[in-house]
Amino acid sequence: MSIMMPVPDQAILDRRSSIVAALREIVPGEGVIDSAAEMQPYESDGLTAYRQPPMVVVLPDTTEQVSRVLRYCHDNGIKVVPRGAGTSLSGGALPLADGVLLGMGKFKRIRDIDYENRTVITEPGVTNLAISQAVEHEGFYYAPDPSSQIACTIGGNIGENSGGVHCLKYGMTTNNVLGCEIILINGEVLRIGSKAPEQAGYDLMGIITGSEGLLGVVTEVTVRILKKPETARALMIGFPQVEASGECVARVIGAGIIPGAMEIMDKPAIHAAEAFVHAGYPLEVEALLICELDGPEVEVDELIARVEKIAKDCGATTLQISNSEKERLLFWSGRKAAFPAVGRISPDYLCMDGTIPRGKLPQALTRIRELSQKYGLGVANVFHAGDGNLHPLILYDANKPGEMDKAEAFGADILRACVEFGGVLTGEHGVGVEKRDLMPEMFSDIDLAQQQRIKCAFDPQGLLNPGKVFPTLHRCAELGRVHVHGGKLAFPDLPRF
Amino acid sequence: MDILKIRDAKDVEQAVQAAIAAEQPLEVVGHGTKRAVGQPMATNAVLDLSALNGVTSYEPNELILTVEAGAPMADIKSLIDSKNQEFDFEPMDTSALLGTASLSGTIGGTIAAGLAGPRRIKSGGARDHLLGVAAVSGFGESFKAGGKVVKNVTGYDLCKLIAGSWGTLAVMTEVTLKVMPKAEHEVTLVLHGLDDVTATRAMSAALGSSFDVSGAAHLPQSAFRGATGVLAGLGSQGAVTLLRLEGIGASVVHRANSLTAALVSFGKADRCEDEASQAAWVAIRDVTPFAASGPLGAWPVWRIVCPPASGGAFGRELARETGGDVIYDWGGGLIWAALPPSADAHAGLLRSKLAAIDGHATLIRGSDPLRRAIDVFHPHSEGVAALNRRVKSSFDPRDIFNRGRMTRA
Ligand SMILES: Cc1cc2nc3c(=O)[nH]c(=O)nc-3n(C[C@H](O)[C@H](O)[C@H](O)COP(=O)(O)OP(=O)(O)OC[C@H]3O[C@@H](n4cnc5c(N)ncnc54)[C@H](O)[C@@H]3O)c2cc1C
Repeated sequence: MSIMMPVPDQAILDRRSSIVAALREIVPGEGVIDSAAEMQPYESDGLTAYRQPPMVVVLPDTTEQVSRVLRYCHDNGIKVVPRGAGTSLSGGALPLADGVLLGMGKFKRIRDIDYENRTVITEPGVTNLAISQAVEHEGFYYAPDPSSQIACTIGGNIGENSGGVHCLKYGMTTNNVLGCEIILINGEVLRIGSKAPEQAGYDLMGIITGSEGLLGVVTEVTVRILKKPETARALMIGFPQVEASGECVARVIGAGIIPGAMEIMDKPAIHAAEAFVHAGYPLEVEALLICELDGPEVEVDELIARVEKIAKDCGATTLQISNSEKERLLFWSGRKAAFPAVGRISPDYLCMDGTIPRGKLPQALTRIRELSQKYGLGVANVFHAGDGNLHPLILYDANKPGEMDKAEAFGADILRACVEFGGVLTGEHGVGVEKRDLMPEMFSDIDLAQQQRIKCAFDPQGLLNPGKVFPTLHRCAELGRVHVHGGKLAFPDLPRF
Repeated sequence: MDILKIRDAKDVEQAVQAAIAAEQPLEVVGHGTKRAVGQPMATNAVLDLSALNGVTSYEPNELILTVEAGAPMADIKSLIDSKNQEFDFEPMDTSALLGTASLSGTIGGTIAAGLAGPRRIKSGGARDHLLGVAAVSGFGESFKAGGKVVKNVTGYDLCKLIAGSWGTLAVMTEVTLKVMPKAEHEVTLVLHGLDDVTATRAMSAALGSSFDVSGAAHLPQSAFRGATGVLAGLGSQGAVTLLRLEGIGASVVHRANSLTAALVSFGKADRCEDEASQAAWVAIRDVTPFAASGPLGAWPVWRIVCPPASGGAFGRELARETGGDVIYDWGGGLIWAALPPSADAHAGLLRSKLAAIDGHATLIRGSDPLRRAIDVFHPHSEGVAALNRRVKSSFDPRDIFNRGRMTRA
């Protein structure tokens, strides 16, 4: 593990047994786990290269328990790492040796379904897919659809501001949540937002979403749900060069069409996916674009015709249009299984998540190819092409000495390139520990200080999920100091009226 | 009053640093069209950003626009209009309601006020379309947040806090926004004569359909006292409920037919199309029935946000009890209420009733003494109020920007 985590506090570790006993007072029975064997499943999240057993695992099942656990930790200076399903790809739920791992898996109830207001109120441990399933019989769904949606929780989605293939048209988590109950580290329970379309005051829901478990523990979420579109059909378009597929995406958007989803896979990804799920992907093409259009049939038909024309103008060599729901799902099956499919062709892989301006896709691909040669490691690319979000999967073998370090260096170079092209380090997976030390590529010390001041407004002692997101930990007192530039005239050389 | 005219972003930093040193609060102003919103501010110096008005970059194919914060909305709108694009959150033009010069206002003011129009119910508000920002904090430091791409979770989303903060957190110098292609065609279905509660049910049914309704408003008959133009024509037979459909021609026609059929129990729906439809939605967006120059121009105006399905019953009661007028947007989730003058503009009544439905209310138009006498912004519960104060301090610890605007001393 090449990243430094906060040094464990020996004084806390020395008190472990009394801490465990105190936590058992709050969460009785099986809710506190302290044996090494039983804690093992919590050692890492989806970023499996990083592992760390926690000091103790606590699995509360009421808001009151969460509040009391946090207050206890606050009063005793104990660190806390919140965890949903542990599918984070950036190490957001990586435990700390001297920290409590607070698993929210028992918060599994959907509390309220309201079709008139088009909202669902749910506990945070409910999976993303379960929300859609709960309202499916009425033709509704919850729009953000991460590929991990069978497993990942809505609490984790809030933590990471997760996206999915359909967020091009329907937005990320932040655009689809209305309110929450959040518990601050001192145990205070706050209600933010409601079923109303907008909150009063500062947009606290907006800052909580994507805060990676550093601001508070979410114990209830209000999301908005949508009625399913009448129909959805997909085009599967093959191109002889990846650049042409990128051009096609840019032209579709440029023509004012916002498809439900637009995804690209490159040749290695196509081959891996086809071998895994037999979706009928063309194997001779260099890039495969899956473009889904949804809405009323007349609209979908017309837009398919428009996209088809653009694709041909861009030099598409194969083009299939789904003619049934079964076929549409078949087109998607390979894309949705792309990560595990790549997992079959390589002992290990690292999934990157940078975003670039859509128009820079060809340059970014060329750069990734050059880097692949430089590092001598293979790469398979899947992209949320419609919004410029790249997922290069770097192939390596952790058992070969030095390969993991090489893979990480390759990944870091890709992300630096994303920033260089005018993009960002992460589009949907979060910073976590994985991209923490790259933050200065994008943000100055001042930018980062301003973000950390928000952290201080929620958690002044820095007990919630420390070691994530921010490359350097500053004390809140230091960050809160105003440096007065004294000795100057008030408002020097400004025109006055 | 000291007016400091900014020439560039560097000036902003200098001015703020000087203000910190002199313990001098600043009123942050673009064109000043919304200065009369909020508690009266405890400031005696104005930071005028209107000269910070350049377009940094506009990439229609990327659907991304970066402009300086003082850029006039009118210029920006015509720029993106030339590429057949628009802001999907339909920002409100407050000039009719507040009685300021029309077609004024800057992008910075628009974001700071965060007053999204009818399409918010489908596409979100200013907060959903602000991708990146460069600003100067109350520490006297220039910082940036977000990025210039549509999909980004790198670091905290400070843009969300800044949108809708009424200039109390930081002075924006440059903003990056998402723009969207304009719809090719639009049709508005018009239902007649529904009472507020039935209209809310009709709007809920429409918004809960798969027909992608992008505007759902209801105007009770009394609201037509002050209606002019297209709206006056629509209301000649009494209350109207308007449902907007946008998109490519064939799709809009199909959805209009299907929705008409689905809502048949609410009566026969008329249609109004393209220019007429557009004009009607601009009037709703800008709340022209309550225009400062109209018959209700002297009445205080509240902006009430609540769970949409509760809107009709709430608004009807409020109008009945106060003798005021209401207009519904966002399927009932946004209620504009012009209430007859009283000592507190009915704030007490309004807010105690809102507590029962999880709603909140902001006074958007009111005299200076009224705004001194009541909480203009909705009061929070104790814990959330304290957190809001800590958030404010984390940007502006000396309370330099728009002091006193969002919270009553
Ligand atoms: C195969 C695979 C495919 C994936 N595909 C996608 C994709 O398409 N799009 C995408 O965006 N992501 C994707 N991910 C990443 C991951 O699934 C998401 O980030 C997801 O939202 C994490 O949810 P989780 O419940 O597993 O949260 P965890 O991993 O347990 O936690 C994530 C973060 O949220 C915090 N957290 C969790 N619960 C709470 C709570 N109740 N209160 C406060 N903080 C909390 C944690 O501290 C942590 O920082 C994928 C992951 C895998 C393994």
